[in-house]
Amino acid sequence: MKEKNATYVNCVHCGKCLPACPSYNIGFNEFLSPRGRVRIVLTDYADSLPLRAGKVRESMSSCLLCGRCEKVCPNDVNIVELIINEKIKLEDFAKKDFSSDKLALNILKNKREILLKTALKIANIPFVKKLSGRNSPLPEGKSFIGSRDLIFNADAAAAQSPSGNRPALRAPLLERRGVAGEDSDTSSEKPPSPLLKKETGAIREHSDASLENQRTLALKNERGVDDGKNIFKAGYFGGCVFNAVYPQISMDTVTSLTKNGVEVFVPKMQGCCGLPFISSGDLKSFKELAVNNALSFKGKKLDYIVTSCASCSYSINKLYPEYFNENEENYTEIMDFSKKLISIWSFFNEFKKHGFEIKKGKLDNETEAVFHIPCHLSNMPDFKPDSTNKKLIGEPGLIADKIEGLKLKPLKYNYCCGNGGMFNVRHYDLSKKITKRKFKEIKEAAPQEILTSCSGCMFSLKDQSGILKHSQTIPVSHLISIYTHSLQGEK
Amino acid sequence: MDKKLISEFESLLGKDRVLSETEELLCYSYDATSKDFMPEVVVFPLNAEEISKIVKLCLKYNNTPIVGRGSGSGFSGGSLPLKGGVVVSFTKMNRILELDEENMFVTVEPGIINADLKSYLSEKGYFYPPDPASYEFSTIGGNVAECSGGPSAVKYGVTKDYVAALEVITGEGEIMHTGSKTVKNVSGYNLTQLFAGSEGTLGLFSKITLKILSKPKEKSLILASYDDINKGFKAAISLLKLRNRPSMLEFMDKFSIESVKSIFKSDIIKITGKFLFIIEADGYKEEVEKSIGEYKKILEEFSPVFLFASEKSEDKKVIMDARKAISPSLRKYGDLKINNDIAVPINKIPEMLAFLEETSKKYGIPVINFGHFGDGNIHVNIMLDKSNAEMSEKGGKAKYDVLKKAVELGGSLSGEHGIGLEKKEFMKLKYDAYYMNLLKNIKKVFDPQNIINPGKIF
Repeated sequence: MKEKNATYVNCVHCGKCLPACPSYNIGFNEFLSPRGRVRIVLTDYADSLPLRAGKVRESMSSCLLCGRCEKVCPNDVNIVELIINEKIKLEDFAKKDFSSDKLALNILKNKREILLKTALKIANIPFVKKLSGRNSPLPEGKSFIGSRDLIFNADAAAAQSPSGNRPALRAPLLERRGVAGEDSDTSSEKPPSPLLKKETGAIREHSDASLENQRTLALKNERGVDDGKNIFKAGYFGGCVFNAVYPQISMDTVTSLTKNGVEVFVPKMQGCCGLPFISSGDLKSFKELAVNNALSFKGKKLDYIVTSCASCSYSINKLYPEYFNENEENYTEIMDFSKKLISIWSFFNEFKKHGFEIKKGKLDNETEAVFHIPCHLSNMPDFKPDSTNKKLIGEPGLIADKIEGLKLKPLKYNYCCGNGGMFNVRHYDLSKKITKRKFKEIKEAAPQEILTSCSGCMFSLKDQSGILKHSQTIPVSHLISIYTHSLQGEK
Repeated sequence: MDKKLISEFESLLGKDRVLSETEELLCYSYDATSKDFMPEVVVFPLNAEEISKIVKLCLKYNNTPIVGRGSGSGFSGGSLPLKGGVVVSFTKMNRILELDEENMFVTVEPGIINADLKSYLSEKGYFYPPDPASYEFSTIGGNVAECSGGPSAVKYGVTKDYVAALEVITGEGEIMHTGSKTVKNVSGYNLTQLFAGSEGTLGLFSKITLKILSKPKEKSLILASYDDINKGFKAAISLLKLRNRPSMLEFMDKFSIESVKSIFKSDIIKITGKFLFIIEADGYKEEVEKSIGEYKKILEEFSPVFLFASEKSEDKKVIMDARKAISPSLRKYGDLKINNDIAVPINKIPEMLAFLEETSKKYGIPVINFGHFGDGNIHVNIMLDKSNAEMSEKGGKAKYDVLKKAVELGGSLSGEHGIGLEKKEFMKLKYDAYYMNLLKNIKKVFDPQNIINPGKIF
């Protein structure tokens, strides 16, 4: 642990973190609480009591890394980091015994999407499901990222025709990618896509993008550098789930950008953000993945790198800088990548700040929805809540504002969904209990649709069996998908 | 501890409601004081019958000590298992059992968090005033045991003023009922109010009936600060004499202001001055407007250096968050805090504060003060360096001086935290042997074997 982060000594055991913690709220057992965990770690450091690794692991692994405790802590104790470091110390991952979460991690690390999909598909066969007693997400279509880097041209004409009735530009990309439940060959029925794929070699470079200062680039000034075209460039970081399990969300994110006149670059080399690994105590794999991701975007002179997964943002923005030292190889690349990565919501916020107009969309049918704020999104940067939607959900409210026909309803408490990444895999039953608590407030709001912006939250929120009757199932979507569909004049 | 007691608990409650592993017990060994004691087992009952059986089992097995615990957020060690034994966690007993809208009473289980009860009532248009700084995480059971108070005490009183009836399990394992849902009740001794503030030493609560009020429609805040303590004091006394006295009259000294300055980051609130008051008016809209106008006029007569009024809920949140953050954020003045919550008659506050400043100078250690001006309850924080033994000794002496002075001024050793472990050695400053013996005998009546929270208060 970096000495600067030894804030645990500041814990005065006031107990303020208890009600904030999703795992504490399952059974009100302080062994599964932030204050309890801090005490266990402290005792371990002081070596003042003989503690057994198995029990310590039990307490640590029940932490969802949601960070809600840190948000309420009056003494700024870095509780999550303390827990992660304890997990690393325990070398959770080094255990020799076989477990399903280890298998899942292995698949993620080696980017064997086919394996991941096969494993998830097997897990979804009824008798396997019954045997394991758990629900697993079903992959929806082919992976988003294939064997080549992708470039999506900014849709310059979209400004004049937001409904999308433009001359058909058949995108080879779309031919390869079916949407769940659709045969890709019949996709000609869909409105023609304006997306184009180019070869890697065709990437244009920005003239004056300085690495030090990417976040504050005066984007406006750069307009016009590309042969007079008003284009700026974003990278897209998909993350494992939006690449392999819900690829349509990646497509929707990219489309939301291109429709707003942004060029998008997607390097094929990128992989998992690493959060599942570090949350399992596997620092080595986490760092390998971080370096891989950073290098895959290196030197591309992008204005921003956008992700639509809140947990990926958390991992890359918050954890990457914590676990790399200045004298380490690739430190500069890691920091550049971390600084440049931005959530899709922050991106549009920046986009607007620089004077660009965000396109408005319209839903065919008015929809009442709730937006579940992912824990990892709730630490949003200073943001002025000047509209009802922004007051309700913060930064994503900016995009919600642009969707005519979308009516957001408040959620009373904004509880955690219960996913917590590997927490859901390791403690499925506990996870479901938290999800159940979440659905109490969702049911009260009675939405037609649940929106969110995190891959983990989507898993948990879609897993409604045992919580809602089958006939009452509420569809779950990424807000960016709804936005993109509203731009296309369809939903 | 007899292992058989643990297995008896397991067969009574089921294994998932009994904790006995070291690592689990460790998480029940502390509260918000800096002391810790390991329990030998933690149990989670769900009702009075189970609690009664737990107590009876403890009597059967060598009179094993029992300590009740809510959120473990107390400042006097009330929930610490001083002599090991059993911690009874009430956290699973957190239901609202009945809202009696006609009589305006609510009956709850002790494990419900104060803020959860407040928000439940607020939605229905009702109001439960007691608001200790910990109300977002402390339980009603703990609040009743310690007779917690908060800023609203100046207008609305403290927890005991709202406890109407209790279901209690005594040290003999008997389930007893006190009080009634009536305001008037003179029939035998007032045991309900005896339990309120008994620091968990007379019995374990299983049901609590609280009086509720209808919710004030509006609230509005004023911040006012003074460089001259005496002028500020006169202004505050004048506010208390009003028929529409403030619903909150908090004060912070210059160190407390400094320690939470970053929370007041809003540009509008730039605090100056050495002595800050946070004043609130509540009621109907016209009432609040009138009160605020009146308060302002009075405050201005005594030449404040800073005056700020706001009706905005955002401002109120910032101000109250800052107020609540003082206690935990004092760490920057020292890593060991001796936290006293003396109460003195209001007209003795200036004398007490002057004494505190002297004490700080005398021992050369920071003494930081804030609290509830309206009820004379001052939080005196003596800040020490854990590793400095000499300083700790001085801190102990300072604490003695402070408590002695409070008693001399006709005040109390503790306004709202309770005596617990933290102040029991100072009880003799206030009470003679006869009085102390009386207290001990009262405990004996409810708990003949001295198993309920032994070692606290005396």
